[in-house]
Amino acid sequence: MQNVLTFGDVKISKDAALSLLEKMLDIRRLQEKIIQIYPTDVMVTPVHLHIGQEGVPVGVCAHLQATDTIFFGHRTHGPALAKGMDMKVLVAELYGRSTGCSKGYGGSMHLVDAANGMLGSSSIVGGNISLGVGSALASKLTNAGYISVSYFGDGATDSGVFWESLNFAALKQVPVLFVCEDNSLSNVMLKSEHMFLTTLIPVIKQFMTVFEADGTSALSVYEAAGRAVEYVRKEGKPAYLECKTKRWMKHQGVDKDDLPDNPIDPINDCPIQKLETLLLDAGIVVQRDLQELEDRVAGKIKAAIEFAEQSPFPGEDDLVREV
Amino acid sequence: MPWSKIVKNYGKADGDRIRTFKEAIGEAVDQAMIKDPAVFAIGLDANDKFGVFGSMHNVTHKERVIGTPISENAMTGVALGAALSGMRPIYIHLRVDFMMLAMDQIVNYIAKWRYMFQGQVKVPIVIRAVIGRGWGSGAQHSDSLQGLFTHIPGLKVIMPSNPYDAKGLMLSAIEDDYPVIFIEHRWLYNNTCHVPEEPFTVPIGKGKIVREGRKLTLVATSIAVIDSLLACEPDLDVEIIDPRTLKPVDEELILESLKKTGRLLVVDYDFPVSGFASEVCSLAAEKAFHYLKTPVSKMTFPECHMPASGILEKRFYPDPSRIAARIKEIIADAA
Repeated sequence: MQNVLTFGDVKISKDAALSLLEKMLDIRRLQEKIIQIYPTDVMVTPVHLHIGQEGVPVGVCAHLQATDTIFFGHRTHGPALAKGMDMKVLVAELYGRSTGCSKGYGGSMHLVDAANGMLGSSSIVGGNISLGVGSALASKLTNAGYISVSYFGDGATDSGVFWESLNFAALKQVPVLFVCEDNSLSNVMLKSEHMFLTTLIPVIKQFMTVFEADGTSALSVYEAAGRAVEYVRKEGKPAYLECKTKRWMKHQGVDKDDLPDNPIDPINDCPIQKLETLLLDAGIVVQRDLQELEDRVAGKIKAAIEFAEQSPFPGEDDLVREV
Repeated sequence: MPWSKIVKNYGKADGDRIRTFKEAIGEAVDQAMIKDPAVFAIGLDANDKFGVFGSMHNVTHKERVIGTPISENAMTGVALGAALSGMRPIYIHLRVDFMMLAMDQIVNYIAKWRYMFQGQVKVPIVIRAVIGRGWGSGAQHSDSLQGLFTHIPGLKVIMPSNPYDAKGLMLSAIEDDYPVIFIEHRWLYNNTCHVPEEPFTVPIGKGKIVREGRKLTLVATSIAVIDSLLACEPDLDVEIIDPRTLKPVDEELILESLKKTGRLLVVDYDFPVSGFASEVCSLAAEKAFHYLKTPVSKMTFPECHMPASGILEKRFYPDPSRIAARIKEIIADAA
């Protein structure tokens, strides 16, 4: 049996490839579970699902350490799980329980896990980008050695704070990786409706080194992010990683996206199917291995939901606390 | 150009180490930076030779004073990201109106981070905002806006009126693990009083009686404290309270005084509606109603923006003579 998967110039060990796959399955199957139970209103919080885009956070975070920081926006579930958040505290937060990562005060869009470098997420598109630059500035000022990731979608590149952050990061040469998870949509607007240019890459290249990846392929992201993270860490300079991907679901909620100009190919746009096919074709895994993986992920989701269901709600008397 | 002018020197009298307001702030920042390498200053022109009206001259660790592009919103996010990562930023706005460009970060992020994440991450940020008036600065460069910030849960708001309090409160603000808005009136910068050399703190949330009296409680903020002191000279029987912190305000101090005087006037140089003056009046109505002998009263800006022309500007601002006239109206019934 093969133990190394070759993808372009990249060789990735079986364990590393299976780790990417398992993280993507954690995200995908949990999102699917949310779709299933959301109508029962056990989760009273607006959700922005990550289905179809799993390859990006998983491919990037595979190269990050717990001390590296990441600042993401409203679409939280993917990057949070990829960066190492315990699924139990994520689900408990969605259930509004006191055991949630934000103790039930944050909801789906406001997750925190300081031990794993997640210092708080925001629902307002764009602002989180500047927080990543600030964290990188702190690393540089204190010679702390960690890098920071500002994680956003292409909609955020329309905001002033994006350009202000890009300029300052380049000006001060701080170790931040800008990751654009580019699904070509800003809520219901196609790229052609929200952006004058068809691509920003030639402009961004004037600020910093740019890396590009196919966001529908975890291995493509893994490969490009590997180079990008190594560059930022070694050079102590900012870099930009653009990952083209597809949003399968509506901007918010549990319905499939129905925009006529956003067609989804469930095989070629699926980072999970792509990786599974490569692993099977290379003889690294057999179907039974994949089933075992699915069973393990299902077990984690079941345990997370049980944990949330059995957890207490915050006390009403604790409404005005930590203001 | 009277960007800064001496109106009246007052403060703690028990010492002869006389320092200006701007020196006191600079000394606090310098001592905090020396003590803790996590403290740094950031802002537009924070590091230029002008030195933020002289308040950033003589800072030992100049490498930790970072000038920024004109990008207030992202730069405030940079400060927040640094604070979340263990730093203690002091963000400086040369004018409070520039701070409006950062309201997204201040209101949507900085003010909410503690609550949304229940204190699991600290947000030790001080935001200095310089306010001022005069010389035809016009509507934008003359704003105060403290009422905007006191409205938002999660922000502490400080407005010192003298060098001693400025140093002590600045050191408290920098030591605080959560966001503090520190508002400095630039006409106070050359005012002087005794300021101890060693680092000391003035507690956030504690006001001070700056003049004792029996017939009226006058609550005044920042430079209005000085105008009120002048208004009461030589012999109006008025108790003047400088809350020093607008939020959380020292309710007990104000209520105790109201029990004694039964009359309230608030002098706050900000817009009249939904502001700090209204809040203190509300406090009196809610918690000292039965002690009140006359209706509560406030002196603020009129309900319009600052004009540029000198003759209108003069009319716009309350001054000691108009404050004195208002006091006399209120206490006219008191024998």
